[in-house]
Amino acid sequence: MASNNRNNKIDPVFVMGAGVALVAIALIMLLFQSSEEIVPASVFAGSFGQISVAFITGLTTGGLSCLAVQGGLLASSLARQIEVDLIAQPKSRKGQSRPAAPTKPALPIGLFLLAKLAAYTILGALLGWLGSFLSLDPVSRAVLMIAIGVFMLGNALRMMNVHPIFRYFSIEPPKFITRYIRRTARNGTEMATPLFLGALTVFIPCGVTQAMMGAALATGRAGMGAALMFAFTLGTSPVFFLVAYLTTKIGSKLESFFMRFVAIAVLVLGLVTLNSGLNLIGSPLSFGNLTRGLSSNSSAQAPAASEGDLTLYVQNQGYFPQTLRAKANAPVALNLVTDRTYSCARDFVIPALSFYELLPDTGKVVVDIPAQAPGTRMFFTCSMGMYTGLIVFE
Amino acid sequence: MVKKTFKVSDMHCTNCAMKIEEIEDDLPGVRQVSASYHKMQLTVEYDEARVSEAQILEAVKSKGYTVEA
Repeated sequence: MASNNRNNKIDPVFVMGAGVALVAIALIMLLFQSSEEIVPASVFAGSFGQISVAFITGLTTGGLSCLAVQGGLLASSLARQIEVDLIAQPKSRKGQSRPAAPTKPALPIGLFLLAKLAAYTILGALLGWLGSFLSLDPVSRAVLMIAIGVFMLGNALRMMNVHPIFRYFSIEPPKFITRYIRRTARNGTEMATPLFLGALTVFIPCGVTQAMMGAALATGRAGMGAALMFAFTLGTSPVFFLVAYLTTKIGSKLESFFMRFVAIAVLVLGLVTLNSGLNLIGSPLSFGNLTRGLSSNSSAQAPAASEGDLTLYVQNQGYFPQTLRAKANAPVALNLVTDRTYSCARDFVIPALSFYELLPDTGKVVVDIPAQAPGTRMFFTCSMGMYTGLIVFE
Repeated sequence: MVKKTFKVSDMHCTNCAMKIEEIEDDLPGVRQVSASYHKMQLTVEYDEARVSEAQILEAVKSKGYTVEA
């Protein structure tokens, strides 16, 4: 049976992968398009935006990456069902000579995913709760983001087999846990096994999941951490379900078809996270600050230096103008104006001044900036390191 | 009981290590198996009277991995 399937001209895994990729691209385009006629920006701003991104990450890279790591566990969940189905058939033992897929795989797969969803939601709540004790000010959040970014880059390079050293970016679960999981898979009951193994996947998270766990920790809120992990795990579920439904041998097939795609996606996400961390510490080396520094136009187009009063419009899409010019050697009052601003842009940070404040969604907050030397470039950012800007003192 | 270490060069992730460790339950005479993705190696503690090195290597190969003594 299995060998016959291999002779098919179109591999179902390939079709599924292409379908998932196209749906994900469509969703991302819908989510991030600027047209407010379709979806108001405020709808996807702030926490909801973060949750949406987590869901899409799960639907795309997370689903594929998790399946590569946890696919074996899911196959073990189905083993009991396979045994039931094959009770009247000749027995085929061990390893490669796996029998045909179960006739009723939907139930164990569903139970596995349900348990996984519940377990990761609880894990997200715990991480968020733990994060609240870490009192994540912008600097510690930046350090965490940079660490997560480096971890993701390391994992991407590991998946690309760049150098053996990158294998150490993969966390090996303790042997007693893997042994326990393995034996549970063999000895469990038909219904309990998928439920239990689904929950145990928290101990063997894939690289993308581990990064998402870091993001849940960084939220510093149990509810938000839970919501983030719930959305992410929910996003991984369709890929898990559909592909597992088609074949229980997806783990090895995925590696050959999608590992490079997953590696590239993780690489990009890692760079974005690292860049956000650099923004958050006001580093001139972040992509935005680097290109802003290189571009002479941005400074030329900035409003002329004013006597002691600057106005910055904090909007859902970022800060306007992105570059301000101020008089050097004199104190400056920076007026931060919000108007129905719900995105993370209102979580305003000036790293050089250690200034950090959650602005009202509508209103004005004044920041007193002490006199700065001529040529000083003072970066500001949102607390996620997503939106950035600059004040040039001259 | 003897303890031997083998080289497994084609593990892709920690799940591969977990999969290889299944031989602990598959082969009678194998007492403990520890596979490391980081080191790309496999350490097996086994009873020579009950299982041979060749059987262990064959079991690992049957899981789809290249193993060297």
